[in-house]
Amino acid sequence: MNLVAKDFKSDLKPIWCPGCGDFGVLQAIYRALAAIGRPPHEIAFISGIGCSSRIPGYTTAYGFNSVHGRALPIAQGLKLARPELLVLAAGGDGDGFSIGGGHVPHAVRRNDDLTYIVMDNQTYGLTKGQLSPTSPLGLRTVTSTYGSLEHPVNPLLYVLAYGAGFVAQGTPADIAGLTEMIEAAIRYPGFAFVNVQSPCVTYGEEHQQIKAHKATMKALADLGHDPTSRAQALEHAHAYGRELLTGIYYQEPDPPPTLGALVRGRQEALASAAKPRAQILDAFVQH
Amino acid sequence: MSPTRNIDFTTLTMKDALDLAILIEEEAYDRYSELADQLTQHDTPDAAHFFRLMMANEEKHRAALADRRDAMFASAACGMTRAMIFDVEAPDYDEVRAFMTLRQALETALRAEQKAHAFFVAALERITDPTVRTLFEELAAEEVLHQDLVRRELAKAPPDPAIATEEFADEPTGE
Repeated sequence: MNLVAKDFKSDLKPIWCPGCGDFGVLQAIYRALAAIGRPPHEIAFISGIGCSSRIPGYTTAYGFNSVHGRALPIAQGLKLARPELLVLAAGGDGDGFSIGGGHVPHAVRRNDDLTYIVMDNQTYGLTKGQLSPTSPLGLRTVTSTYGSLEHPVNPLLYVLAYGAGFVAQGTPADIAGLTEMIEAAIRYPGFAFVNVQSPCVTYGEEHQQIKAHKATMKALADLGHDPTSRAQALEHAHAYGRELLTGIYYQEPDPPPTLGALVRGRQEALASAAKPRAQILDAFVQH
Repeated sequence: MSPTRNIDFTTLTMKDALDLAILIEEEAYDRYSELADQLTQHDTPDAAHFFRLMMANEEKHRAALADRRDAMFASAACGMTRAMIFDVEAPDYDEVRAFMTLRQALETALRAEQKAHAFFVAALERITDPTVRTLFEELAAEEVLHQDLVRRELAKAPPDPAIATEEFADEPTGE
């Protein structure tokens, strides 16, 4: 189907702060979805709560701006119930790695065919700039007046260590590159994770903004990185917070079956021995 | 970071050069449109209005280039895509702020025109085709004219207030 980016743009105007990095991420998502070529009614976009979690409303796909930190459980349930849909989950670093942090390993190990896009701005922007799980050590915010004493979560290491089959990192400072990696993530048959360093213009630091990204970012491809090597991916992931390395960190060359495929396989294997619906209750009745 | 990908300027043809120039104007138009919408949404009407004027300018330039392309190459397929360019003449996404002044909006446009001029000048070093060279020299010269236009508007614009808006305005609200 021949689709263009504008086919995925809804009539709702984003209310993010002018200059927010999420505008660029949204453009990359529109372009990636156009490249995939599936119509909006075959796509579902699930999010949690936060600035970036508003993103489903700005697309023409089906969307659910759900509960804080719960984008992944809802997305997994939807994918199991409606396997034919292309399911995307999105949210911020707080939504994904603090409030919803417990869901990430289970989404990874279940390996449903989902794409999870995290807009990582290292702050809780919507609630006016508190420390988030990825805030750097020493960051001064309204909840860390003298500087953060907490080591940040490293989202890349987190998902790589749990065994995710597709892990990438991008920035809206390179929308063409970000588009390519979101497209590759969607095409990956399994759980795919894209961390986007998406600057908060209101509470973010100068060195976290798009201009700084343009000046400092390095493409993994230019560093001779082999995206089929998890060991190399883990090594490069350690640079999170110190260097902005963009591209596909890891892509499983031989993707294992997804949870959905395993469930359907099990159902098919057991179907012949299953009782007809009318006789199911008989199994529980003592004669 | 290079604003183009997968473009070999040493072998660039006139058709591809015109298509590239059209895409650059389109990208700038789309970006000014996005930025104007953002500013309208956040009660920054003067800057939004100026960015809409810039949209009209970019569209005028695009249309002129498209006419020229049609006259020379009629319906020949376009070999360039938007994925090959990024932020050539379009202002960066993080150039805008809620409550930015008209002067700040003009300065944003000036930086964008300077960026475009630098792009064409840098590309000229690699271009070998004489007709493409002439086109890029012309485009670079036009960017200088646009800068002059913006500078004239800057000279007329009221000075920024002594206190920056972020000193007294609330941050934009997300919900």
